[in-house]
Amino acid sequence: MNMLPLRVNNVTKIFKNSKGQEFKAVDGVSLDIEPGKIFGLLGPNGAGKSTLINMISGILLANDGNIEVFGLDVKKDANKTKQLIGVVPQEIVMEMAFTVEEVLYYFCGMYGVPRHERKERIKAVLEDLGLADKIHEKARSLSGGMKRRLMIAKAILHKPKLLILDEPSAGVDVSLRQKIWSLVRRLNDEGTTIVFTTHYLEEAEQLCDSITLIDHGHVIKSGKLKGIQQEFSKNSIHFELFDRSVAPLAGVVEVGVEYEYPITTNLATDMAKLTSHYNHNLKSIRSEAASLEHIFLKLTNNGS
Amino acid sequence: MVLNMNTNMWALYAREVKRFQKIWLDTIFNPIVSIALYLGVFGIVTAGREVGSLPYLTFVYSGLLAMLVINNSFSNPSFALVISKNLGNIIDLQLAPIAVWRIGIAYALAAFTRGVFALVVALLATIWFIPGLGLPSHPIYFVIGLFLTGLEFGMLGVAFGFWAKNFEALTFMTSFVMQPMIFLAGVFYPIASLPQPWTTISLFNPIHHNINFFRYSLTGYSDLNPLVSLVVILAFSAVFFVAMQLAAKRTIVVK
Repeated sequence: MNMLPLRVNNVTKIFKNSKGQEFKAVDGVSLDIEPGKIFGLLGPNGAGKSTLINMISGILLANDGNIEVFGLDVKKDANKTKQLIGVVPQEIVMEMAFTVEEVLYYFCGMYGVPRHERKERIKAVLEDLGLADKIHEKARSLSGGMKRRLMIAKAILHKPKLLILDEPSAGVDVSLRQKIWSLVRRLNDEGTTIVFTTHYLEEAEQLCDSITLIDHGHVIKSGKLKGIQQEFSKNSIHFELFDRSVAPLAGVVEVGVEYEYPITTNLATDMAKLTSHYNHNLKSIRSEAASLEHIFLKLTNNGS
Repeated sequence: MVLNMNTNMWALYAREVKRFQKIWLDTIFNPIVSIALYLGVFGIVTAGREVGSLPYLTFVYSGLLAMLVINNSFSNPSFALVISKNLGNIIDLQLAPIAVWRIGIAYALAAFTRGVFALVVALLATIWFIPGLGLPSHPIYFVIGLFLTGLEFGMLGVAFGFWAKNFEALTFMTSFVMQPMIFLAGVFYPIASLPQPWTTISLFNPIHHNINFFRYSLTGYSDLNPLVSLVVILAFSAVFFVAMQLAAKRTIVVK
């Protein structure tokens, strides 16, 4: 039995629109996620990330391929795999009539947490998330950021081995985002494998061991973050300009707010060529590792 | 790995019971007010009339109680599920490690509990005004009838709740299917008093058999053999269980 926390094997999902036309939201995607890692699933809007997460969570059936969580098939062993996974969905949803404690109490029960353990667990999780003083408040009266934390609390109460977070920091302020990521790091240190999607690429850069970039339902790049960064950094110089209307040097490519110039002879000569052409218009110039944003834009063709 | 399916299902049941307790004004006063209004009107209009040897008010009252159980059992899960779909928290059910049939049964049992609660509240508030009605004539039948009726229409409510895409679809089913069936089921009259072919047609109305069995268990009066009604109730319970399964499966795991 393969005991990888998550193995996605050639998975395809096809949707039909109201006119009966087929659309492949996920097309032959394969992923292997190693135990104890933080894994980033990145891609532009509509890339197929949430569809893939829904299939991993067992709420959407794949048309083709299979998904295993700790060696168990998500379709055949749905309830066992759901027990192993904690999911923080993108949308904030909850039973609005209940207090925070009630929401979590019944959620614990739905995941099989024995009655005598529930209150302790709820207390500990709420303290971790800075919501301990809100325990008796109605869930609907919480602020947006607090509701987001409550969503995270729901997902981690049953101590899942694999935690999936779909855009967990969307719409939360910087301070809360930092708290969420520090909790994610701590859970990871305790052995939980983390899979998350995010639009905050700099955070993926800080947190992830490995990433997969998806676009139009296809995996366009997958691997260790550092390796990918090295691959995209070698043989090119990145620079920014004060005045972007200046005629570009031949071979320069625009990548987002930056420009990229391939090293043709050697680094020193090409640097000199660039500084001579752009002169005082150069705002910054570097040949270090490419940023994830740069790689993302380049691979999704938004930066050229 | 903690995977206790019974704990999971009963937690969902407890959550649903808690949810209707939260709307206690509706839960408590709705049954009292609706029964009281019917009794007020029928008490004045039908004073002194009888159905067989049964005072007409007692006849109607027993039917109204069955109707109350049916309405509450049906509407509790159907509205809860449509609200969940609208709020988006149906995802809690989709993500939970609970077998689809157990999700359905948890909701149906909570619906039955709501039906019993409504019945008890209505009885406590109104039985004092009903002539000659005390303990059920057939207590065991009463318990069986109450349990099966609550569960049967709870399962139908779950099926509708999972099936209905929005409130419009649900209210359509409630107004144009459930209500006519309830009113044509013999709550207010013995079906034998209807002209043919309506008497025969009424026999195919599943709700008629719930009313008939419930009324028999409470007062000893029946339009037809209560055991025939019991068989029909069991048969429709099986049909509604299957319908509940199909509708729940379609929502919990999307193809």
